[in-house]
Amino acid sequence: MQLIFKYGTSFFLVLLCIVFSWLTLTPQDAFDASAAQRIANQINQTTEVSPSETTVLIAVRDNEAERSYAALLEKELKAQGIEQITTATTAREGRQLLSQLQAENRALQAVAATQATGSWLLFADLAADYPLHQHAKILVTSSRLWPNFLKYKNVSNVLNQISVIAIIAIGMTFVIIAGGIDLSVGSLIAFCSVITALLIRDYGGGVEASTLWLLIACGVGIGACGVIGAFSGGMVVGLDIPPFIVTLAMMLVASGLAFICSNGYAIPEVPETFTWLGRGAAIKIGMFGGSAIEIPNAVCLTLVLYVIAHIVMSRTVLGRYVYAVGDNRQAAWLSGVPVKRVLMFTYILSGLLAGVGGVVLSSTFRSGEPTFGIMYELYVIAAVVVGGTSLTGGRGTVVGTLIGALLIGVINNGMNLLHVTAYWQKVILGLVILGAVLLDRLARSVPQTSSRMRQQESPNSETNGPNKPASDSATKNA
Amino acid sequence: MKSFQIAIATVALCIAGCSPTSDDTSNVTPSGQGESRGTIGVSLLTLQNPFFQVIGDNITVEAAKHNYDVVVLSADDDIVKQGNHVKDFIVQNASAIVLSPCKSDAIGPIIKEANAAGIPVFTVDIPCRLPDVEIVSQIATDNYGGGREAATGMIEAFDGKGGDVAILHFAQAESCQLRVQGFLDGINEHNEKMENKINVVATLEGGGKREIGGKATEDILQSNPNLAGIFAINDPSALGARAALEKAGVADQIVIIGFDGQPEGKQAIKEGKIYADPIQFPAKMGVEIVNAIVANSKGEEVESEILIPTYLYRQADGLKDPELQ
Repeated sequence: MQLIFKYGTSFFLVLLCIVFSWLTLTPQDAFDASAAQRIANQINQTTEVSPSETTVLIAVRDNEAERSYAALLEKELKAQGIEQITTATTAREGRQLLSQLQAENRALQAVAATQATGSWLLFADLAADYPLHQHAKILVTSSRLWPNFLKYKNVSNVLNQISVIAIIAIGMTFVIIAGGIDLSVGSLIAFCSVITALLIRDYGGGVEASTLWLLIACGVGIGACGVIGAFSGGMVVGLDIPPFIVTLAMMLVASGLAFICSNGYAIPEVPETFTWLGRGAAIKIGMFGGSAIEIPNAVCLTLVLYVIAHIVMSRTVLGRYVYAVGDNRQAAWLSGVPVKRVLMFTYILSGLLAGVGGVVLSSTFRSGEPTFGIMYELYVIAAVVVGGTSLTGGRGTVVGTLIGALLIGVINNGMNLLHVTAYWQKVILGLVILGAVLLDRLARSVPQTSSRMRQQESPNSETNGPNKPASDSATKNA
Repeated sequence: MKSFQIAIATVALCIAGCSPTSDDTSNVTPSGQGESRGTIGVSLLTLQNPFFQVIGDNITVEAAKHNYDVVVLSADDDIVKQGNHVKDFIVQNASAIVLSPCKSDAIGPIIKEANAAGIPVFTVDIPCRLPDVEIVSQIATDNYGGGREAATGMIEAFDGKGGDVAILHFAQAESCQLRVQGFLDGINEHNEKMENKINVVATLEGGGKREIGGKATEDILQSNPNLAGIFAINDPSALGARAALEKAGVADQIVIIGFDGQPEGKQAIKEGKIYADPIQFPAKMGVEIVNAIVANSKGEEVESEILIPTYLYRQADGLKDPELQ
């Protein structure tokens, strides 16, 4: 039980994954050679005419997996002496082939279908529409139960879907741990996306832009977001205006600028190579069930950024300073922490990473859009808070934020897979965020009492970072 | 120990929160008669607009008759969200995907993914006209024809007289461009035949919204004191125009023609505040989509564009409309 409390949110994430896997168990087509062989044997056994007179229609959908299955099946059937094989990849094509066979007075003996093509209405009315083919048997590939949620394609989708939120949440974690908040990140996504696409279109040569130009444009876009972040930070640090107000204002400014720069229209004039980051996958790990396992580039970028952020937060002086400033700014200042510079750093970082998120999104959609990022600030803050970071500052981890982002991504995806209707999705997402935070709060309440007791034993103890066990300072002081 | 109980209760609540909704959707699945023909995934622009709500509901009901399961999602005007919807439909191996795209162009790469998975894609209301994207059929209102009907309504209200008219536009939407084009063509044809001309003196952005339409109308009145008619491209901007006319005390002298036929628009027509609306039929659109999906699954030829004509709805229609009782 202690364990569940200790890893509140992670436990919740695992629980949700199990629930979604259970609920999305679905029969999946088997498209391997043995499945093809089984169907070929069935066709051979069930037909009453000799193999050389048997006519077979293979009905598959027009995608890679099913086309290769059709090829396997055709090879298998030919090995058994069945030569008259036609393949249809759409219902329309299927109807044309059936009519053609009817016209040539050749009766069809069997249809080899997949789950999807087997439910085509074309085959439901086969006997009525084509009396000649009425004895044709419709054989659907065998299937095995496997959760849609755990399909490789889906896992890769979820990771890809959360990458933008996860990247921006790193910056937000820094800002919140340092005791601030940044509401402008959603608008900065749009701002960066528009600036980058605009530069590529107007100066880089549009769809023929070179890779170097793409890098320059992305760099300028991200840099511009960094400048806006620096401005927010400057207002917060220099003029002591509450960050909520400053970043709220910058949210409006950045969004407005995005619409002004783009005239409110999308900017799709970017080269195909621009999609490398958002849609490409450079690293291939291996094969699984006939499809290559590859890590999408956006996911790689996210992971690299998280590793760096984790090291900065837990192993460097800078990270320690961020915790110290958020925990007690006065105390941090008194002990010689450069409070203003640390705060500036967090806002600039948040701006830069929002820019990176904007580049990833524009790359995915191959377009710069002023409407990107609406409401993203709230999802990002939710991910950070669900991940265990305290909104009052001084406490939290980057790894926790990653788990928070995963949790939100998994819930959204799971509900779509479970056909939860649009209105209920909002209610459930809200409740789950609340539930995750509640669980985390309970988890904290257990160890915290003991640490507080220890701190009372050593009243002189200085402010501790959250990662540093309280007992550490206790022993030092003793 | 108490905190543990609360934790369990929370988890139970969340799971319980999930389960009634999955029951909800299973109600939609066909009862008995034959096995399911698979899932139709529907992602609409926004379900906050009743127009799309009606389309979604009608797809669900009509598709159930053909043993399809339907899942209707709201993209909330967010192209990223809509992209995620489509990816989830692909993972579920959906039988067909229906979209009303948030962005005509940016949805392209997403539709291509569905094309690569061999899943037929249908669009409703908003088209995607990229050349390398495969869409089985686009179903929408005949907006151009509707614009001509709006002109007919205006001419009818003028009753042989000429006059100055203004247009409240929403230029960024293709559908509204077609409506205005149809209206202008209708008015021009009338002017060629008749002595008393109808002149379009102003075309202003009404934003498709009440407050923007109202402000634009105030501006038009300032520069065109002899204004006799306004054509607004939807109901909210028509009602905004009406409010501005009432404020200026000229509501009885100026004819308003709207578009859409949403409940508030029909009510205003019944009360004589708007002269007439070419109305759209979202319910029919939902049914036509399912018909197209069924025809495609049967292997029959499906028209690449299905246009649903509008109907000019006047006060007489409002008075006998059972929905407004």
